[in-house]
Amino acid sequence: MSRTFTSDQELIDRLLSNDTEAFEELYRRYWYSLYTYSLKKLHSSNDARQIVKNIFIELWEKRHEWPANFSVSQHLYTSVRRSVVECLNEKLENDDYTELVEKQITEGFSAEALQNARKPVQQRQSAPTASELTRQHTISNEGPKNHALNMASMKWLLQMVAAKLD
Amino acid sequence: MKTEILHRKLERYINGEALPAETRQIQTWLSCTTSEQQLTAAEKMQLEQDILQEIQAHTAYPLFYPKKEKPWWQKITAMF
Repeated sequence: MSRTFTSDQELIDRLLSNDTEAFEELYRRYWYSLYTYSLKKLHSSNDARQIVKNIFIELWEKRHEWPANFSVSQHLYTSVRRSVVECLNEKLENDDYTELVEKQITEGFSAEALQNARKPVQQRQSAPTASELTRQHTISNEGPKNHALNMASMKWLLQMVAAKLD
Repeated sequence: MKTEILHRKLERYINGEALPAETRQIQTWLSCTTSEQQLTAAEKMQLEQDILQEIQAHTAYPLFYPKKEKPWWQKITAMF
């Protein structure tokens, strides 16, 4: 196995000249993430496997049609999302799968599940930043201290003025 | 959510006729990837090979574009 890193763009360029090694390198790079994503969504290893297979067959068969600025990762992740939706839709058309889908998948569409999916982002947004925390800490702790310091210096200044006047 | 309602929503989404709220709902579901299901290294390797073989059988690319044998010095340098 070669240890030199080849960019996706270079592999796609090589794919145009029917380089099967470039295709297999792309497959090895992406198949697992596409597979696990499909598996998580559909709870079926057969469906996940079928989706990965179809996506890479399409990638190979349409290799001469991809545009010049083609992003393979973007294409693969868009394809897997579309395939998951289509597969779920097909399952819902089939009465044999309805119960299975109801048990495992429709829960994910509930308002509660979708809110939970957004939660970490909301928490991150509402949590104060490090600079805000520092500022709050400085104001709360050093505010009275600074005030006392100012009062002391004012007293000293007044005493000095009074002494000069005397 | 009932499966009939979900089916109608997905149908509209695929045809590009979904309402913005429906689109958001489906896209949120698609974006949510929380639980991790891991395969063992051996299972992963086996599955990787199996799917690749299915792709090769379907496209028949190894027949049309057979791999060229690399010269011996390239094989040795690839090891390091």
